[in-house]
Amino acid sequence: MPWEVGLAETHQTLVLNDLRGRVRLQTDGQMRTGRDIVIGGLLGAEEFGFGTTTLIVMGCIMMRKCHLNTCPVGIATQDPRLRKRFAGKPEHLINYFRFLAEEVREVMASLGIRKFNDLIGRTDLLEVAPNSHWKAKSANPSLLLHRPAEADKYATYCVQDQIHKIDAILDRTLIEKSKNAIEKKEKVSFSVPVKNTDRTAGAMLSYEISKRYGDDGLPEGTLSVDFNGSAGQSFGAFLAKGVTFRLNGDANDYLGKGLSGGKIVVVPPKGSTFKPEENIIIGNTVLYGATAGEVYVRGVAGERFCVRNSGALAVIEGTGDHCAEYMTGGYLVVLGKVGRNFGAGMSGGIAYVYDVDGNFDYFCNKGMVELSKLDNDEDVSRVKSMIQKHIDNTDSEHAKNILSNWSSTQPKFIKVMPVEYKRALEEMKLKELDKKLEGIIEEEEIGGKA
Amino acid sequence: MGDPTGFLKNNRKVAGYRPVEQRINDYSEVELQLSEDERKLQASRCMDCGVPFCHWSCPVSNIMPEWQDRIFKGEWKEAWELLQETNNFPEFTGRVCPALCEASCVLALNDEAVTIRQNELAVIEKAFELGLVKANPPKTRSGKKVAVIGGGPAGLAAADQLNKAGHMVTLFEGTDRVGGYLRYGIPDFKLEKSFIDRRLDIMKEEGVVFKTNSYVGRDVKINDIMKEYDAVCITIGAREARDLPIEGRELSGIHQALDYLTQQNKTCAGDKVCQDSLIAALDKNVLVIGGGDTGSDCVGTANRQGARKVTQIELLPMPSKTRTDSEPWPLWPRLHKTSSSHEEGCERLWCISSKKFIGENGKVKKVLACKVEWVNENGRFNMKEVPGSEFEIEADLVLLAMGFVHVVQKDFVNELGLKLDARGNIDTGADFKTSVDKVFAAGDANRGASLVVYAISEGRGAANAINEFLSK
Ligand SMILES: Cc1cc2nc3c(=O)[nH]c(=O)nc-3n(C[C@H](O)[C@H](O)[C@H](O)COP(=O)(O)OP(=O)(O)OC[C@H]3O[C@@H](n4cnc5c(N)ncnc54)[C@H](O)[C@@H]3O)c2cc1C
Repeated sequence: MPWEVGLAETHQTLVLNDLRGRVRLQTDGQMRTGRDIVIGGLLGAEEFGFGTTTLIVMGCIMMRKCHLNTCPVGIATQDPRLRKRFAGKPEHLINYFRFLAEEVREVMASLGIRKFNDLIGRTDLLEVAPNSHWKAKSANPSLLLHRPAEADKYATYCVQDQIHKIDAILDRTLIEKSKNAIEKKEKVSFSVPVKNTDRTAGAMLSYEISKRYGDDGLPEGTLSVDFNGSAGQSFGAFLAKGVTFRLNGDANDYLGKGLSGGKIVVVPPKGSTFKPEENIIIGNTVLYGATAGEVYVRGVAGERFCVRNSGALAVIEGTGDHCAEYMTGGYLVVLGKVGRNFGAGMSGGIAYVYDVDGNFDYFCNKGMVELSKLDNDEDVSRVKSMIQKHIDNTDSEHAKNILSNWSSTQPKFIKVMPVEYKRALEEMKLKELDKKLEGIIEEEEIGGKA
Repeated sequence: MGDPTGFLKNNRKVAGYRPVEQRINDYSEVELQLSEDERKLQASRCMDCGVPFCHWSCPVSNIMPEWQDRIFKGEWKEAWELLQETNNFPEFTGRVCPALCEASCVLALNDEAVTIRQNELAVIEKAFELGLVKANPPKTRSGKKVAVIGGGPAGLAAADQLNKAGHMVTLFEGTDRVGGYLRYGIPDFKLEKSFIDRRLDIMKEEGVVFKTNSYVGRDVKINDIMKEYDAVCITIGAREARDLPIEGRELSGIHQALDYLTQQNKTCAGDKVCQDSLIAALDKNVLVIGGGDTGSDCVGTANRQGARKVTQIELLPMPSKTRTDSEPWPLWPRLHKTSSSHEEGCERLWCISSKKFIGENGKVKKVLACKVEWVNENGRFNMKEVPGSEFEIEADLVLLAMGFVHVVQKDFVNELGLKLDARGNIDTGADFKTSVDKVFAAGDANRGASLVVYAISEGRGAANAINEFLSK
């Protein structure tokens, strides 16, 4: 779809509804010249994106081999031999944009416009060039060039900053109460109510921590917060190291998004009567892009649990469809039923599933993964210790049952592992061994000489 | 693309020439060929560019990336099928084309170009070897008759295309053999003439009628052709040679390069040349005036004939050895080139102007020359003689290789009343139509002295235009 069409419609609709003043409109797609920019402005945009052109300026010759690592001008490649051939310079881009700006000024001057904002949406300054192409006959651009009458009374470009409404959110309280933990690394714990309009709880708190300590976060167990209620979206997002969030209740989607070393525990509220291992207590898309940390949930998750997880450790009692999708790292133990398409596109990490009904095979997408039993000590001790931690954190009856009947439950565990990941790990192990062997041989040689 | 990293693994490798000591004694082709395995590796260097500039710069729009891939995979038949779609005579261009494609090869941007020309040659020679190139006469005939006048590469390409389209083609050639400058001009050591005959045999079998010794305007009347044929394609080259009308020009021993080169081509073909008109370089001080390719061909021929010394002079300054900023990639750069003939022994001088021929007993002995400078005056380069720089060059054979002015007009071009362009060549639009109904022109006759590959592309273009004209 040419950008002109979408842009004109968006702009006109926003003006009609007096919303245009609240947003910035950006357009892109084959933007090349100052003239393109001015036309974009006249149709309603105030920001412009440049893709191909800027690449060309840096030396791209449209090889269309960006996916092969063989870019001969060193742009879309990590091959050091080819990167040496990169001849682009920041100055080239600076130059290009300077010329662009210059041309924009020239066109504006020719239109008698002083400020760019003054031309936004001025479709009256555009006219349709005659075009004899047969396809042009049936095209009627008049709607693109329409200027709503409302443009006379409402703003036609961004005049108002966004109101973020983050002055009084839950994180302000969290930060305030965690002051001593954040500033002096003192042990702090407290409890707060939470409701589903409290979004991204913990993200700003984590910012305060990582601003001071970077990736290291706080020492293990420094800050611990108990939440009671129903948490909003992205509970515990980006949670930093040294912070534990314990939620008595349930949570919406995106719990633990981008988890960065913190720990999240979710348990049903005290006094609830349902069976946790059969009921969903957290939403979809949990641990999206998490890099480190732990999550223990006494209950079942929605869909896409652990999607794109690249390093966190999670224990859960059941999940919906697409669990472990695109996972690239970390460990996952599911102590119950899963939905279909388990492990689609999973390229790293390991998942262990307690296959109660013996039909996991049916639910798994085996495009990239292979299944096996818990047949070595490493796996067994890993799973057992993860379940133990789950019990320690959630007091799960279900988990206790599994662990106390280990001899009969262990055979029901299935290990899900990406084929490529396994190969890479084995290669790494072999290399380690080789190194050790070399070390031994060297030692022997040195010993022999002596 | 068979191997996406081929260009990182294999360096450009050209086959090179036979050793000078050996090749100087004969007129066989100087260029060698790579082994088949090496050729495949060379083809694997093609990057199959998203925007292939080779394709863009090639006058016949060869689709190089496609056939490079087939070469790499050893699929010679498929490679040839792709190649012959765009180029009627790869065996000629594969030998003598300056390879515009290689100058604009994307790899040449920061590495060395793919050996496109030699790869092309490998494909067509392999195709001949495998017996793939054979007569394939058209299944049906249109009943229309087309006359092609001039049997150079332009005329041949036009004849080939028109014949394939089903028209009855008669080609009139003024000399005793077909081929134009391919035959009489380009030395045998660059292009052995058996390769022309091999192609002509196929074209004859396919139905093209060749009438040699049929110089239009002398042996054949243009009016007769106009009466008999439904369309006429003029491909007589741009053969009006530039002369050097200075004092002493009438002395003997001063010849046009083409007369000299043609004689050697004929000798190589086994013809007897009359002693009186023989132009021989044996034991002579040979001076070639003109620094271009024709001059270079004279140098190679003179050395083979046993010249004592060969000197080549040029009026213009020596071009740069590497690309200059004024001719950035992917444009064709005018570079200083050392041809195989230059390697064989020759003194080359630039910025030299000839002032007069000095003779004894009616025979040229010396040339009085001087140095010149090219001064930039308001963006135009003007030639200035360097005062006091006069000197003499010993020369008892002088060969004029100063290029060609335009088409020969006097024989029938004027008689037909063809409109000429500013440079004196036959004027046509992009559709190859001349100012006279049903008469088309292509090749050097249309665009001025140029290259074999342009001649082929023009011949194909004119054939298309004629085909369209005849189908109306
Ligand atoms: C010495 C020399 C070396 C060259 N080397 C190269 C090279 O290495 N690479 C390259 O790409 N190009 C080279 N060229 C240029 C190239 O050969 C020409 O551009 C090309 O041959 C032009 O083809 P054409 O068919 O238009 O004309 P020509 O090749 O000139 O053919 C014209 C034909 O028409 C015939 N003819 C002329 N008048 C009449 C008439 N009245 N009646 C009948 N027949 C007539 C002629 O006898 C001739 O056969 C070279 C040229 C010369 C002179």
